[in-house]
Amino acid sequence: MSKIGVFVCHCGENIGATVDCARVAETSGKLDGVAYSVDYKYMCSDPGQSLIKSAIAEKGLTGVVVAACSPRMHEPTFRKACAEAGLNPYMCEMANLREHVSWVHEKGEATTEKAIDLVRILVEKVKYNQSLNAIKVPVTKTALVIGGGIAGIQASLDIANTGHKVILIEKDPSIGGHMSQLSETFPTLDCSQCILTPRMVEVAQHPNITLYSYAELESIEGFIGNFKAKIRRKSKSLDEKLCTGCGLCTTKCPVKKIPSEFNEGLGMRTAIYVPFPQAVPNKPVIDREHCTYYLKGKCRICEKVCPTQAIRFDQKDTIEEVEIGAIVLATGFSVKQPDFFPEYGYGKYPDVITGLQFERLASASGPTLGEIRRPSDSKVPQNIVFVACAGSRDEAKGIPYCSKICCMYIAKHAMLYQHKVHGGKSYVFYMDIRAGGKNYEEFVRRAIEEDGVNYVRGRVSRIYEKNGKLIVKGVDTLLGAMPVDIEADMVVLATAGVANNDAEALAQKLHVSYDAYKFFAEAHPKLKPVETNTAGIFLAGACQAPRDIPESVSMASGAAVKVACLFSQDELTRDPLIAVVNRMAPPVYSSCVGCFLCVSACPYQAIEKEEIKNRAGEVIKTLARVNPGLCQGCGTCVAFCRTKSIDLQGYTHEQMYTEVMALLNEY
Amino acid sequence: MDELRKRAKELLEAGTVKVVIGYENGTAGRTRALFAEEPKAAEKLIFDSRCIMNLASYITKAEVKAKGKMAIAATLPVMRAIIQLASEFQVSDNNLLVLGITPESTMIEFKDIAEVEAFVHKYEIEIEAKYSEKLEKLNKMTPSERWNFWIEELSPCFKCYACRAACPMCYCHKCTVEFNQPQWIPVPSHDLGNLEWHMMRAIHLAGRCVDCDACYNACPLGIPLNLLTKRMLIDAKEHFGGYQPSIKADHLMSTYKPDDKDNFIM
Repeated sequence: MSKIGVFVCHCGENIGATVDCARVAETSGKLDGVAYSVDYKYMCSDPGQSLIKSAIAEKGLTGVVVAACSPRMHEPTFRKACAEAGLNPYMCEMANLREHVSWVHEKGEATTEKAIDLVRILVEKVKYNQSLNAIKVPVTKTALVIGGGIAGIQASLDIANTGHKVILIEKDPSIGGHMSQLSETFPTLDCSQCILTPRMVEVAQHPNITLYSYAELESIEGFIGNFKAKIRRKSKSLDEKLCTGCGLCTTKCPVKKIPSEFNEGLGMRTAIYVPFPQAVPNKPVIDREHCTYYLKGKCRICEKVCPTQAIRFDQKDTIEEVEIGAIVLATGFSVKQPDFFPEYGYGKYPDVITGLQFERLASASGPTLGEIRRPSDSKVPQNIVFVACAGSRDEAKGIPYCSKICCMYIAKHAMLYQHKVHGGKSYVFYMDIRAGGKNYEEFVRRAIEEDGVNYVRGRVSRIYEKNGKLIVKGVDTLLGAMPVDIEADMVVLATAGVANNDAEALAQKLHVSYDAYKFFAEAHPKLKPVETNTAGIFLAGACQAPRDIPESVSMASGAAVKVACLFSQDELTRDPLIAVVNRMAPPVYSSCVGCFLCVSACPYQAIEKEEIKNRAGEVIKTLARVNPGLCQGCGTCVAFCRTKSIDLQGYTHEQMYTEVMALLNEY
Repeated sequence: MDELRKRAKELLEAGTVKVVIGYENGTAGRTRALFAEEPKAAEKLIFDSRCIMNLASYITKAEVKAKGKMAIAATLPVMRAIIQLASEFQVSDNNLLVLGITPESTMIEFKDIAEVEAFVHKYEIEIEAKYSEKLEKLNKMTPSERWNFWIEELSPCFKCYACRAACPMCYCHKCTVEFNQPQWIPVPSHDLGNLEWHMMRAIHLAGRCVDCDACYNACPLGIPLNLLTKRMLIDAKEHFGGYQPSIKADHLMSTYKPDDKDNFIM
């Protein structure tokens, strides 16, 4: 006979104000098999937990139902309390009276009835609960960091400095990411590359970091502590061991007119190229889409001039298989593409550029060596307009969110312009100035007050060309929506920060959730900002939402600590809530017929074939077997199995059925 | 079908196969399955328009498998079933030889199941016009009309399980309806129990049903069970790119592809 304890939590006012907790406890107490029931203000508090522990000891409870909040947060708390009192932790279940009842219904009879129903079904379920033991799995103490921008670099260095191995993969030929493209950084105006490149070099030289540039994640399988990744190392057409990085090949390459990605199309590069002089690794790759040899079968000039004979035209992509225990996703972001702004004439007028292009113009390593010269005729613009929120905060454009970094970089751009073009006039069209952050507001005020940037509060409706000038039509909403027309020589659009094109595919590959804008989703917006919902995979930087450098770096260090925590143990303890294929007496052995539809349905490749052999070693039957180390307990196989041969521990057919029947039956 | 009889006899004489499964004359002008184990028995083999039973339902039976290597006279639906069964690891080239009967009633002996697949893939599974009309009519009904239609149609069912016995895809040793801890599908033949049984069976055939109509032909009450499975074939086409049995184990319903349609999710 079951002796079940029901513990109803008020969660302060959260549940207590809406649900009649005393009545829930009282009614539950009368249910068959319930030996004890009580309500309490905060069940998760120390006295609350003591209530459970003492009831287990005094009443000899065989099962516990805690009617409180979502099991997400406190199921481990209550299971631990039960274990401390000597009850198997998996004999404890939680009814969610907060998210499923009090937060979604109004106070009333029906609300309390629903709370009682939720308790009732779990009381019936607990009767079928079985004592389970936690599963222990080993941890591979190597981390994979995907993305070599500032976030990936910081995370790699921090993890490596705790003494653990790191594999850093970067899809481009060099690490550095967007930060390497920036000129100066807000709010201090220190040179971006000057602070970044030492870190890049540190990565390359760190004994614990293996850097694979020009590489992408091909596939991943496994689970926290035990991932197996396949990394595609794209062919660089180069023997990296022989290449000294002398750069002779890049000067002799005849294909010189390829828009440089690093310079955002404002400069040109060759087909064999190093993205920028400070690149890490500082070795070239051949861009096969543009190389004359790959297109026409002739040329091979780079091969002829290479002093170490390092060019390998026939080199193929290689797949590197690595075992890792944790993953940090630091794949960054993109900026919205030009075709998005027909009304601003991007792409039509060469002097309408994006913020990232302005960074290259202002950068000492850029195509103009840091002089602000407009792309069309290389003249120094005397009037310049910056348009904030180009795409961001625009529901009509599908981006209702704030891209966050633009207010600050526009202030920086305008400031750099004023410093470089004396006597020039700069205008900023803005909706609101969002300068939250240490020294940020002061920075914007400096742009306005000391550097004389003209801030106009209003949106730009149109940009068109007239007599060689760009006419920017906007309004000043602080002057009663007075129309403002500015004749500009150059316009800079602060385009929205968006997720990478392949973010969705990558998230699906990794089983990581993502939001409506394809940014990767954190596990909890406040308390788990660097975790994902997939255990062992962490987030850093702008792949989660637009982030500036200080935030990306903090996040990266946070993610690194999470990885270090994981690697601090030799074994991981996992919930035994996994699928199990039934076994029966011979000659049946199992009701499994070995159709293996479950194998193709399993998202974790956790199901394998098991052969049952007789004493002579002959195979009598082939069954499905669930690998307990790989199974995540999602239950997809259970739904697929026609013979109901698979049961999910903790959620067995018997438990589910009894829950449904409890709900349908009167009490 | 002299060709078939001759070949069956040869195979049995040579001992290449231990049993040839085909059709023979039954009682009252009907046909029934023949399990020829002696060369002489092969003479009883027939093939004509009455031979509509799906013989593939026998090749998964333990007592038939126990005889040794089987040869089967397989029409197009039977061949489809064989391919599906092979993808579910129930038959293989080791224990089965397929003597295909083409839609033109000629015999082709296939080297292996891969060859059967190549042949079968020349033919799409097409829903006959008389069924399309009925299905269209059903589709136009309101959900409650359709509910009533099926409650009415299924109410005479007394759960003889002839549909299950005739279906080549119903080869489980222990059917869901026999799973009694807990008893998800009620055994009594009341309206709800009948509905649950047939719904469950149809869903278990999603992405697997080869549209042989064996369930409908076997039903002593003539319940149009094949309307359910035909509907799923249409849905499979509309939502999952269509069903064509394949020995590759990438089943329609269990295989995820990034470009799968997700328009059925709200």
